[in-house]
Amino acid sequence: MSKRYKSKKFLVKTRYIILATILFLLALGLVLLPKYQKNEGINPELFVINAVSTERYISTDLLADRIINQDPTLLLIDTRPEKEFNEFSLPNAVNIQLKDFFNEELNSYLDQDVYDVILFSNDNFYANEVWMLGNRLGYKNLFVLKGGLNEWFSTIINPKYPDETMPREAFELYDFRKAAGMYFGVGVTKTKSEEKPKSKKKVITAPKKKKRVPEGGC
Amino acid sequence: MGPLIPNGLIPVEWNFVIAILIGIAFGYIMEATGFSSSRKLAGVFYGYDFAVLKVFFTSAVVAVIGLYYMDYLNFVDISQLYVQPTYLWAAVIGGMIMGVGFLAGGFCPGTSLCAVAIGKIDGMVFTVGLMIGIFIFSESFSVLEPFFESSNLGHITLVDSLGMSPYWIILIITSIALVAFAFSDWVRSKVKKVFY
Repeated sequence: MSKRYKSKKFLVKTRYIILATILFLLALGLVLLPKYQKNEGINPELFVINAVSTERYISTDLLADRIINQDPTLLLIDTRPEKEFNEFSLPNAVNIQLKDFFNEELNSYLDQDVYDVILFSNDNFYANEVWMLGNRLGYKNLFVLKGGLNEWFSTIINPKYPDETMPREAFELYDFRKAAGMYFGVGVTKTKSEEKPKSKKKVITAPKKKKRVPEGGC
Repeated sequence: MGPLIPNGLIPVEWNFVIAILIGIAFGYIMEATGFSSSRKLAGVFYGYDFAVLKVFFTSAVVAVIGLYYMDYLNFVDISQLYVQPTYLWAAVIGGMIMGVGFLAGGFCPGTSLCAVAIGKIDGMVFTVGLMIGIFIFSESFSVLEPFFESSNLGHITLVDSLGMSPYWIILIITSIALVAFAFSDWVRSKVKKVFY
């Protein structure tokens, strides 16, 4: 009997034992492999690319336009503390702070791909915090209102009249912002405030003078 | 990365095309290995042929080991895989009925269709019986529904119900499979050989 034949015969005889051993070793390998913490969500490279990119920002003008046109895909999330939210917020906004992020009920507003979620706070800070966490977990359609409510007030509610030397587009934008402001109720309050100061002015003039006296004295 | 279709690496429209191709390959291999013979399938119960036990148990163990290695290497996300819900008592009763049908007819649903494909009359009779069974079950579902729904445990696996590491469960199941193979070989050596 040749050596080759002998080894072949051995393999044929023991093939099932060899295969069973391989199977067992593979299963044992799973137990013995060093375990590591699996991170959910997108990979670190994509996270950094998204974080550096300014694509997440939406301007106050675009947001105002979408609200006025009653865009059904818009979902506004106010990330400020509840007290500030109760004082003022954008129409139909939902209050979700960073601490509520893992609240199952509220999280369903963020982890979905039907609406464009616009996060906002007083500036970008709180909104960016929520966006960062959402981005890490791979949530889709999350946007941040650029400049937050401060920017909203300085552009939509109280837009600056452009300089005479500015291009035509700046005046058109100003007109749009004025009109948008009226939609959000600025015109109504202004007419009231314009009427009231006239009557108030007469009343206020006297205390103002009084105030000036001690100021001058100092 | 994977699963490929839920993560959009393969368009969802390919779902059925891939299913049909896998089905054809599955049917071909079952027929090629002789699983369309009712004698081979019934052999498990009579102790003269354990090919069915060995093949299905091996495929399950190989698949789970492969999947968990791929999960470890981040090729597949195990948590994204669909797990059938467990209807405990409905499954126990259904399993017993299927066991009786398996033993009496010599086929399971998949192999009976293989047998039909190669023109076996017993396979055709079995498939007709299968269809009648499905029809009766579907028509009486409104009566059976309370029992059917009563023991729904949700999408659980052994990892959830035992609270153990999946890797240890895989090692235990693999060991059980190897012991079962050795035991079936021992039984086969004791039982009178049947040639078919």
